[in-house]
Amino acid sequence: MNLFRSEEHARRWSGFNAEHAAGLLTLAQLAGIMSTALMRERLNGHYVSSAAGYRREFLDRVREVTGADPFWNPAAR
Amino acid sequence: MDTLDRTYHFILSWWAERGDAPHFTDVAGALAVTPEEGRQRLHEVIATGLPNLLFPGTDLIASFAPFHGLPTPYRVSVDGRSGWYAQCGFEAVAISFVFPRRTTIVDGSCLDCGDPLRITMRDGVIELEEPRGVVGYVDVPFREWRSNLPFA
Repeated sequence: MNLFRSEEHARRWSGFNAEHAAGLLTLAQLAGIMSTALMRERLNGHYVSSAAGYRREFLDRVREVTGADPFWNPAAR
Repeated sequence: MDTLDRTYHFILSWWAERGDAPHFTDVAGALAVTPEEGRQRLHEVIATGLPNLLFPGTDLIASFAPFHGLPTPYRVSVDGRSGWYAQCGFEAVAISFVFPRRTTIVDGSCLDCGDPLRITMRDGVIELEEPRGVVGYVDVPFREWRSNLPFA
């Protein structure tokens, strides 16, 4: 994941792949995905033991934020 | 707290406090085990599949989410102190969680034009985005992240 000053800049970047345009997210969408317990609880002292339990919320949030776009389908992860 | 939890917590806490990765001998010292046991504990944490990496073929931590040991476009400063790098654009917006109740700033550059980007956060909340309209882009489909972690 790389950051750009706007969608226009991301789309004209040499590494942009129009077939993967669903990989574009606003900063608010990024923050939404990256604010679940999977990231929030890293310093709680029992993170490794708990991480599997945090995964469902994370995947639900990815699906919610991205509108369940196939690019964001977690199958086979 | 079990062994994996203790090892993980030590590594992440060390990095947040000091700005660099611990060596496995540091892990050993913290857990009161031999250096070889410390090395094994490090490898066990890496093997959990969490987004943490060693430099290939070594016992040296390259990246331990949300941090990266090599310069990335995302320089992090906390309460005016710099020295950390976020693992990627995704982790750049999550990094404030490991600095609770502290103002965390990520300074980066747009990969297209090179203009500066700055994100100011606190406990996961974005307080300021400069310029407004910053976006993230990843070319690797989500289902392929695990096998392409450095590019995700």
